[in-house]
Parts: sequence; structure tokens; C-alpha cells
Amino acid sequence: MKKIKTKPKKQTPVLVKILKEGNKNVFASALCMGAGQLMYRQWAKGLLFLLAQIGLVAFFVLYGAGAIAGFFTLGSVEANPWYGTEGDNSVMMLIMGIFAFIVLAVYLAIYWLNIKDAYKTQKRLESGRAIRPFKSELKGLLDSNFHMTALTLPILGVSVFCVIPIIFMMLIAFTNYGGNIIPPELVDWVGLSNFGRIVTLSQFAPTFFKILGWNFTWAIASTALNYFAGLGLALLYNKKCVKGKAFWRLFPILAYAVPGFITLLAFRFMFSYGGPINQMIVDGGGTAIGFLGIDAKWSSRIIGLFVNAWLTIPSSMLLATGILSNMNNDLYEAARIDGASPFKQFTKITLPFVVFATTPVLIGQFIANFNNFGIFYFLRGGLYMDGYFLASDTDLLINWLFNLSIDNNYYSIGATISIIIFIITSVISIAVYKSSASYKQEDTYK
Amino acid sequence: MKKLKLQPKKLFDTGITYLIILAVSFVFLFPILWLTLASFSRSGSIYSFDGFFPTAFSFDSFNKLFNDTVMYNYPQWFLNTLFIATMSALLGTFLTILTAYCMSRFRFKSRKTLMKTTLVLGMFPSFMTMTAVYLLMTQFNLVNQHWGLILIYAAGAPMGYMTQKGFFDTIPNSIDEAARIDGASNAQVFVKITLPMAKPMIVYTLLSQFVWPWSDFILPSLLLKDKDLYTVAVGLMSLGETEFSRFAAGSIFIAVPIIVLYFLLSKFLVSGMSAGAVKQ
Repeated sequence: MKKIKTKPKKQTPVLVKILKEGNKNVFASALCMGAGQLMYRQWAKGLLFLLAQIGLVAFFVLYGAGAIAGFFTLGSVEANPWYGTEGDNSVMMLIMGIFAFIVLAVYLAIYWLNIKDAYKTQKRLESGRAIRPFKSELKGLLDSNFHMTALTLPILGVSVFCVIPIIFMMLIAFTNYGGNIIPPELVDWVGLSNFGRIVTLSQFAPTFFKILGWNFTWAIASTALNYFAGLGLALLYNKKCVKGKAFWRLFPILAYAVPGFITLLAFRFMFSYGGPINQMIVDGGGTAIGFLGIDAKWSSRIIGLFVNAWLTIPSSMLLATGILSNMNNDLYEAARIDGASPFKQFTKITLPFVVFATTPVLIGQFIANFNNFGIFYFLRGGLYMDGYFLASDTDLLINWLFNLSIDNNYYSIGATISIIIFIITSVISIAVYKSSASYKQEDTYK
Repeated sequence: MKKLKLQPKKLFDTGITYLIILAVSFVFLFPILWLTLASFSRSGSIYSFDGFFPTAFSFDSFNKLFNDTVMYNYPQWFLNTLFIATMSALLGTFLTILTAYCMSRFRFKSRKTLMKTTLVLGMFPSFMTMTAVYLLMTQFNLVNQHWGLILIYAAGAPMGYMTQKGFFDTIPNSIDEAARIDGASNAQVFVKITLPMAKPMIVYTLLSQFVWPWSDFILPSLLLKDKDLYTVAVGLMSLGETEFSRFAAGSIFIAVPIIVLYFLLSKFLVSGMSAGAVKQ
């Protein structure tokens, strides 16, 4: 049978269809989860939905409603040690409020699923088919709906340990949390006033723009260096004339194997005032150089760049090796027969393929470098300089955030700045990603 | 039409290649060599060194590292780190591969939204969320427990699924389709076909998921309070300045398992896995 192609009609939304055509069972499901399914005698499924309904309602009655209310008030009872009253912990209330909202969203999603399910059964019966047995639906979870089953756990984990904390952090930017106002003091919503403070107060603005400029330079330079050096190294080790590939690869892997903070501390020592390099300079009749000292702006920056390269190139080499191993070698054969030079082969075959497979990773590396906390924290941490507010001239925004919020309790200001950083980085990377080949033509190499 | 000829151009090319390889190897080896030799120094203090290297060698630092455990219980730290890193690598890799496979092979309604969301979420500076993570862990009663760390590492792992998805994108779809025609369900395709083919990527993921907890220090230093629960990273950070060779010895010792892992697994990392697969 041939399918007749028709112009895709504008589909009526499912909700409208359900409201128009749904029968009494569908509406029973809308009133109480599982009711419709039970009326269709789908006992197992109906009971599962009913249990979810009971459990979730109980959660909201006992706990959730209070948590959501607390989210808006952020507590009203101040702790008073004199009378032994235990006050509200605003920060805890904020985070549990977010949690309750997420449970609410899940609840609504399940509810919607349950109504749609009843409607689907109705349609099945109307078109003359039997009710789908529960077993076959369970099987579908491993087959046509495999992605839903498989993604449940990752999404749950990411929601709890990444999404909730991020929402928390973003909301902190709209409160006065920080400074003297930390629990047991009550925290309050303050709207956009933190953003106003950053733009207007001469305390923050100059430091912010100085660091931002250096941050961009750093991210672009280090990402480019690491990416191309890693790719170059992978290609180098892949050359036919190289014997004992596994042995040579071992050297960068050695570097990869040593934990980053150890290497960083080792490098810090190597370049320190009394370190081996300066010892050698002194022995040779020179005077010791403060490579990472307070005046050494550019030498510290360049040392940072190379130390970061030393740390990151091995992993980008491994990645490139993996990608290259998946490459179709026939292309090279064909290119050789057509007389393409090795350089041509690289720019026309290797590079497009590798860039295609790694564009998202490249963006990720850019972001990682933009927010590379460890390098300057270990190489040159704890320096505060003139002309900077609680920062030094090698500090990236992320280091400044650390100084502000962890070392000096400027929580809400830190959160505000991190929202600004986030807007900058996300605009850049979404733009790059959307214009990249691996987003537009995902199936090119399949 | 190949003929064996010794061309001077080729010889020159090979020479240059080896020269670069030697230089690269030296650059990567030198700091490690320095640290290794320092760990065998007799005096323990760095100031007695002659330039880069110590003047007298002994096994004292290693001896102290494993036997003098009253102040610094290195063997315990090592076991803690091993446990945390292994569990997080296993769980994290499982979740990451699953996510990457779904994102690469299935086309569903919220897919692009999910991809964009993860990309956006990944852009948040991770330690800004540490305060919140810490508060959450106190709620779950997981502060000062290794499982708390494992949970955080493993749950965060799927955020980095992009590399793996890129890999699955380059595996031809036709193999899956052939199996589907033969009646395999999607779950079977995943377990029996995709997983064996993705071995190099799984190994890469395992390694990177293992290395991360192995060397992370901010999170464990925040969540682990008892000295006996420390990971090696936190423990080594707590060593005083005078203990440089103990620090070096401890560092060298935790690098060893990863090197061994690489030795055992290197063939997976570099093998041309799609050699026998359908090509288009």
C-alpha cells in the first residue's frame, strides 16, 4: 500500500480534542487519577495511578503546601535564644520551596499523562480495537518508549543535583542573602536591586569589566591552543611511520593520570621564588624572578596558559584519537588516488569530520575554560590587588565569584554576577551551536 | 602500486615526526619525573635539593606514607578514594551512555529542548551551586558520607553526554535498523548491539568519570569532615609545607592505578572499531 502524501493539516491541540470528545471515563480520570482506567477495568494501571494520586496529595497536604508558602515568605519567625524559640531558616525554606515546586510540576505531568491515557483507550475502543493489555504496555517501555524509560533516571538525578541548586543560586540574586544577613537572620526578597548595585556602585563595576576582558582572552586562547594541540598530537601519533604508538601515547597519558591539583601545586612550586628554576637562575649568576608574584601580570598569565595546556591536551588528544578511530578510511584512499596532498586531506577530510563530531565538546571546553577555577586558584590564589575589588589581575570571573561569595560572604552579589556571566556565555554558545554543522545536519555521517 | 623505496623526503618527514614526539614526551614526562624523584629524596625537605633534583635517595617517604598513619592516614584515604571513584565511574558511565544513546538515536518531542537545556545548565559555574548542594545533602543526611559524594558525581555525569552522543552519531544507523527488522526491541538493540560497539567510548567515559572524583578536591573538602573519611586529594592538601616528599610520594602513588588502567584498556581507546561495520 502506498502512502498518499497530503499536506500536513494543522492539528487541533490534544487538550481541545479531549474537552470536545472525551467520554465520562476520561473526565473521571481528570477528577481523580486512575478512576477512568479503573472504569475501563485496567486494574493494574488504574491502581498505580490511584496510588500516585494518594501519595502526592498526602505529600502536599502534609508538607508541600507549607514549603511553597515558605518559598514566598522566606520565614517570619526570628530565632530568639533568650526565649529558646527556633526561628525560620530562610535559606532552607527557599531550597525546600524549589523542591516542592518541582514535585508539583511532576504531579501535573503525571496527571496529564493519566488523562491522555484514558483518552487513548477511549479512541482505541471507538476504532474497534481491544484495550491494550498492561503487559504489552510494559513491553513498550523497553521498545518504542525505550527512550522515556532510559532517560528517567538521568533526568531525575540531574534535576535534584544540578537543576535545584542552579535555580537556588539564581533566586539568591534576588534576595539580600549575604554579608550580615545569613541564617538565623531572616532573608528577604529584594527584587532587582542587586543588579542596580553592580551597575552603579563604583565598588564593583571597574573590577567586573577588567576581569571580563581578560576572561574572554583567556577562554579563547586556551581553548584554541588545547583543541588544536590535542588534535595535532592525535594525528602525529596516528602517522604510519610512528612505531610503538601505545608507548608514545603513554607520556601524555601520564600527565593525564596525575590529578590536576597535584600538577598545579607542583608547577606553582617550580616557578616559585625559591623553586628550582629560580635556584638555577641564581646559581647561574642571575637574580630570582617572581614569575607568579604580585607584579608579574603577563608572566603569570602565560604560565597559566601553558600549565592549562599541559593539563588538558592529553584528554583532548584521547578524544581526537577516539573520533579518528571511528573515521572512514576509504575517504583517504580515494583522496590519495585523486592525488590530494596530505595537507589537503587534513583540511578537506579530517578537519570537517573531527569538527563535526566535536563541536558540542568544543563549546563545552570553551565554557570550561571560561570558568576555569583551578588554574589561577592554585597557581596564584589569595592575592588581592589595587584597582581590583577582592581580586587579582589573573583572576577569572569564577575566581572573583569565589572570593566574593565563599571567602567574603557576598552571596547575593556573587549570584547576581554569575547570572550575568551565564547570560554572556549562553548567548555565545547557543549562537555557535545553532550555526554549527553538527546541530543542523546530525545525520550527515550516518 | 606501492613500491618500497627509501625516499629522502619520507625519511626527513619521519625524522621530524620523531623529533616532535620526543620533545612532546619530554615536556609531559619532566614534571612527573621531578615529582617522582622528589618522593624518593632522603631529606624530605625541598630546600636541600640541588636545582630540580634531590641529592640523596631513599624509600623513607613511602615508608612513612603507609606506616606513620597517626596524623595522616594515607592508606585509608586511598581506599576511600578508590571506593568513591569506582562507584561514581560505574554509575556515571551507565547514566551517561544511556543518555547519549537516547539523544543520538531517538527522535522525540522534547529532545531538542532537553539538549538545549543541558547545554544551558552546563554553563553555570558549578561551584556557585555548592552552597545549595551542601544544604541539600544535609537534608538527605548524606554529609560526611561517601555515598553522598558518589550520588553527586554520578547524577551530574549525564550532563556531559555530548561527547558520547557525538560518537553514537558517527555509528551508522543501518546496523540498528537491520536488527530492528530481525525483531529486536530497542532495549535489545541497545544491550546487544550498541553497547558492544561503543566499547571504546565506554572505556573513555569510565576513565574520565573515574579521574574526576579521583582528583576532585572542592566537593570532598566541603562534604567530608572526618579525617578518616578524606579522599587522597583532600588529605594531601592538608599536608604541611615541610612534608613535600610525603606529598610527592602520595601523589605518585595515586597516579599509578590510572596508569595501570590505561595499560589494560588502551586497546579499546585506540582501536578502529567501525572497521567491520557497514559503511556508507
